[in-house]
Amino acid sequence: MSTELERAVTETVTEEELEALIGDRALARDDHKNAPGFVVRPDDVQDVLLDLREEAGFDHLSCVTAQQYEDRYESIYHLKKYADPTQEVSVVVPTSVDDPVSQTAEPVFRSADWAEREAFDLVGIDYEGHPDPRRILLPETWQGHPLSLDYDQEKPQIVTLTEHANPIQPDHRDEESDTMFLNIGPHHPATHGVLHVKTVLDGETVADVDPDIGYLHRSEEQMCQQGTYRHQIMPYPDRWDYVSAGILNEWAYARTAEDLADLEVPEYAQVIRTMSAELSRIASHMLALGTFALDVYGDFTAIFQYTFRDREIVQDILEDLTGQRLMFNYFRLGGVAWDLPEPREEFFAKVRDFLDDLPAKVAEYNDLVTSNEIFQIRCVDTGILEPEVAKQYGCTGPVARGSGIDYDLRRDDPYGYYPNLEWNVVTEDGCDNYSRVLVRMQEVEESAKIIEQCIDLLEEWPEDERNIQSNVPRTLKPDADTETYRAVEAAKGELGIYIRSDGTDKPGRFKIRSPSFHNLSALEEMTKGEYIPDLVASLGSLDIVLGEVDR
Amino acid sequence: MLAPLQNGDTYLFPERIADLTGLSEYGTAGDLVAAFIAAFIVGNLMLAMTGVAGPWAKRKITAAFTDRIAVNRIGPFGLLIIVADAVRLLSKENIIPENADRPAYDLAPIVVAGSAMLGFAVIPMGSGVQLADPEVGLAYVFAVSGIASIGLVMAGYASANKYSLLGGLRAVAQNVAYEIPLVVTGMSVVIFAGSLQMSTIVEAQAEPLLTVAGVAIPSWYALINPFAFVLFIMANLAEVGRNPFDIPEAPTEIVAGYQTEYSSVYFVLIYLGEFLHIFLGGALIATIFLGGPAGPVLPGIVWFIIKIWAVFLLTQWFRSAVPRVRIDQLIEIGWKGMLVLAFANFVLTAIIVGLIA
Amino acid sequence: MIGILKSMATTMKHALDGNTFTVEYPETTPDVSPRFRGVHKFSQERCIWCRQCENVCPNDTIQIVTDDQRQGEQYNLHIGQCIYCRLCEEVCPVDAILLTQNFEFTADTKHDFVYNKEQLKAVPWYKDIDPLESREPDRGAWIGEGEGEVDYQ
Repeated sequence: MSTELERAVTETVTEEELEALIGDRALARDDHKNAPGFVVRPDDVQDVLLDLREEAGFDHLSCVTAQQYEDRYESIYHLKKYADPTQEVSVVVPTSVDDPVSQTAEPVFRSADWAEREAFDLVGIDYEGHPDPRRILLPETWQGHPLSLDYDQEKPQIVTLTEHANPIQPDHRDEESDTMFLNIGPHHPATHGVLHVKTVLDGETVADVDPDIGYLHRSEEQMCQQGTYRHQIMPYPDRWDYVSAGILNEWAYARTAEDLADLEVPEYAQVIRTMSAELSRIASHMLALGTFALDVYGDFTAIFQYTFRDREIVQDILEDLTGQRLMFNYFRLGGVAWDLPEPREEFFAKVRDFLDDLPAKVAEYNDLVTSNEIFQIRCVDTGILEPEVAKQYGCTGPVARGSGIDYDLRRDDPYGYYPNLEWNVVTEDGCDNYSRVLVRMQEVEESAKIIEQCIDLLEEWPEDERNIQSNVPRTLKPDADTETYRAVEAAKGELGIYIRSDGTDKPGRFKIRSPSFHNLSALEEMTKGEYIPDLVASLGSLDIVLGEVDR
Repeated sequence: MLAPLQNGDTYLFPERIADLTGLSEYGTAGDLVAAFIAAFIVGNLMLAMTGVAGPWAKRKITAAFTDRIAVNRIGPFGLLIIVADAVRLLSKENIIPENADRPAYDLAPIVVAGSAMLGFAVIPMGSGVQLADPEVGLAYVFAVSGIASIGLVMAGYASANKYSLLGGLRAVAQNVAYEIPLVVTGMSVVIFAGSLQMSTIVEAQAEPLLTVAGVAIPSWYALINPFAFVLFIMANLAEVGRNPFDIPEAPTEIVAGYQTEYSSVYFVLIYLGEFLHIFLGGALIATIFLGGPAGPVLPGIVWFIIKIWAVFLLTQWFRSAVPRVRIDQLIEIGWKGMLVLAFANFVLTAIIVGLIA
Repeated sequence: MIGILKSMATTMKHALDGNTFTVEYPETTPDVSPRFRGVHKFSQERCIWCRQCENVCPNDTIQIVTDDQRQGEQYNLHIGQCIYCRLCEEVCPVDAILLTQNFEFTADTKHDFVYNKEQLKAVPWYKDIDPLESREPDRGAWIGEGEGEVDYQ
C-alpha cells in the first residue's frame, strides 16, 4: 500500500476534495441525507469508482441500489471506508428508460458482481461489461423485472426449469482428469436453508462453485414499500435474518427511518435497545457456533444441543421482554414497544443469572470445540479469505473480523448507547474457518459485557425518566425525495437500508443491504481448490441465513 | 459348516445342540440341522442386539450426551419403539432409483449385513456358544468382514447417485487404508498367542498376569500391549466408519453417502449391517484383547455381551465429542500414521516375544 | 490428543449428570411470558368498529364488515395468515382485540384458521391466565371503569 493511499484511507476527505477529484465527470449533485452524492454518466462509472477507491480511499462498496423513476433508471453506489465508515459518498448513475444500460462496477469492486445482478434482476438495468449478467434471485426464465414501474404485479408466472449442465466441463476435460457436476442443495443437510450450490468436482476437490440463491425470495423490499413507515414495516425485518437476530434487523430499519424523519430516541430507550440487541447477537452467535459444529462434526452432536440450550435461555429473556421468541417486533420508531417487564428485579435477576453462567459455558465450548485437535486440523487454514479479498467482496461482520479487518459499525459508526459503554471489537488474523469461530465466541463475551453495563444503567435509572418512546406522529410523511442509507452492525455484518421517500406515508424505494448476501458471494474465493468437507465447513463459518440472503 | 477342522477338546455349540436335541443320532443330516439351529440362535442373538442398539440404545445414549430425554413413550423406557420403528421402516415404500444398476443395487445391502453375520461364526462367546473354531479363525474374521467394502462400493455405484458414488469411493479408500493396520495389529496378538485359532487366543489370556492383593489380573492383551489395543480400536473405528472416521456417510457433506438412495427394507438391512459391523468389531476386540468371555461371577456370555456393548458405547461417545476428519487427512492418518505404527508395534512385539521365548 | 480427551470428558460429564433441558411437552407445558403473543381474542361488546386494527394490520389479516350505519356485522381474522405482530392490540383504543398467550391451535386445512368473531371470542386463555394484569399493572385504572360489566369470557 502506498503512503499516499494510507493517508487517504485514514484521513477525512472533505466534500471539496471529492468535488475536485470527480471534477467534470460529476454532472450534478444529488446529496443524500447520509452522504454527498455525485451524478455521473453511465460510461464513467468505473473511472469514478476507481478514483474514489484509489485516491480517496473509499474501499467498501457497501450497497448498490437500483430504482426506476418515471423518467429514468438510477443506480446508486453507496461507498464507505473500512477504516472509517462514517465517511460516505454516493455515486448516482442515471440511465434512460428506453435503454437502461450502465457501465458495470465489477472490475473495481467485486461486490458489484452480485449486487448488479440483483439490480438487473429486480429493476432491469443492464450493466455493460458485467462478467456474469444472469438473474440472481428470480429463476432464469422469469419474465420482466418486478420492481420496475411497468411490471404487472397481478400476472402469475409459470417458471420452467432449465437443466443444469456442467459449466466448466469443456475446459476441464482431458485424458488425465475429469470433472463431475454436483448439485449441493437446495435440499442438503448442510446448506443452512434452501441454498443451491452448483459445484464442479475434480475427484474430491472443488473445481468451481456457483451459489444459486433466491429459493427463499419473498419480495421483502417490495413488502416494505407497501407498508407504512410508522407501523407496518417493523414486523418484517424480523423475517430477514430470522434466527433470533430480529432485534438487530429492526434496529437497521429504526435507524434509517429515524434518520429519514429526524426522530429522536430517548436515552432510556437507547439503553434498552442496546441491551436487547446484544441479547439477540448472543442468541445468533450461539446458533452459528452450533450449526458450524454440526457441519464439522456430522450428526446432531452434543455441541449443537448445548448451544441450543444456552440460546434457549436468551430467548426466554427476550420473550419476557418483547413477547415473542423470534419475531420480536419490539422496536418502534422513536423508541421501543414495551418498558422492561414487571417486576423489574425479577427480569434483572434473570439476565444476571444468564451472564453469570456464561463464562463457564464459554469455557466449556472452548474445551469441547476450539481446543479439540481434530477440530483444529479441520478448521485451521481452510476456507482462507484474505483481508483484501474480503474487502473486495464487501464482507463485513464476523467474517471480515475473522480476516483481521477491524470494522465494526457499533464502534466506527456509533449509534444506540454503544459509544458510552466499555467493550472491544474482536478481530482475529487467521483468515480461516477457525478464526471466524473464535471471533464469534469472543463476541459473545463482549456482548455479555455490554449487557451487563446496560443492566447496571437500567437498574439505576430514575423512575420518572423512563421514557420508552419519543413523541412520534401517528402518520409519518417524510419530505418527498429524501434519500438516506444507514447501516447497523447486525449479527452477520453490516445490515444497511436505503429508503427514498416519495412524500407519502410509504417508502418510494426500500433497499436492503444484506450482510449474508455479500458474505456468501465470497464463498467461491474461499473454497476453490479445497475439498468438499471444507466447502461445507466454509459455508458454515460464513453463517448465512437464507432469509437474509434472498430477502 | 465353514469349519474345516475342529479341535478335539472344544465342544462346539452345534454339537451341543445336536446332543441336546438328540439330532446327533441322525448322522450328517442331523449334524447339519443342528448346525443350522445353532447358527440361527447366534444370528438372532446378534440381530436382536443390533435391533436394540439401532432404534433404541443409540437414541438413548446420544440423548444422554446431549442432555435430552429421547424415546420414552412407548413401553418401558421406550423399548417398544424398536417394534414401532421396525413396523414403520418395513412398511415404507421401497423406492428404487430409475437408473439403479440391478441386481447390484439389491445385493449390496445383503452383502453388507451378511458379511458381518458371517464373522460371528468363529467368535467364542462364552458359555459354550461358538459355532466353529477353525485354526485360521482370526484370519477368517478379517476376511469376511472385509467383504463389506465390496457391498459398500456396490451400493455406492449401483445407486446411480453422485453422492452415493462419492460415499462408495470414500468407503473403499478408507477400508483399504485401515484394513492393513487392523490386520497387522491383530497379528501382533497372534505372535503372543502363537495361534490364529480363536479359542486358543482366549485361553492364552486366561493365565494370570500378576496377582495384586490376592486378585489375579488376567493376562489380557489389552493389558500386556495397550498400545496395540488403542491402535486396534482406532483402526476398527475407521473400519466400521464411525466418528471421527464416518466420512463414507458424512451426512453434512455427502448427504448419506452410499446409502443415500436406499429406503425401506434395504435401508434397514444396510443400517443393521452397520451396527452388526460395530458389534463384530466389538466382538473381535473383546476376543483378542479383553479375554473373550472371561470375567468373574457372571456367565461367560454375559461378560462377552457387556464387553461388546462397551465398545459400542465407546463409538457413541466418540460420536458425541469428536469431529469428523477430512478425507485426505483420513488417508494420511491411515497410510502415514497407523500403518507405520502398526508395523512398528508388530516388529517390536515380535522382538519381545522372540527374546522371552 | 489432550484436546480430544477434554472434549470427551466434557460430553461424558453431561451424560452422567443426568440433567435434561428438554421437556415432555403435552405433560409439562411451558410457562409463557405474560407478553407472549398467541391467538387473538375479540370482544364484540367492547369494539367500537373504528377499523384501526384493520388498517394497521401489515398483511391484511383482519377483515371488518359493517353496515351502512357503521355498525359492525362481521369481524374475521385469518389466524393462519397472521404474523403475530400485536399491532392490532396496540392501536385498539378500547382493548377489544388482544393477543392471548395461547399458542396451541391446530386445524386440518388452512381455511379452518379463518376465525369469525364468535370463534375469536371463544379462544381460551392459556392456562386460564388473563395476561392483561401482568402486562400493564396500571391498566385497570383506565379500562374497566365506566361501562361496568364487560368481560372477555
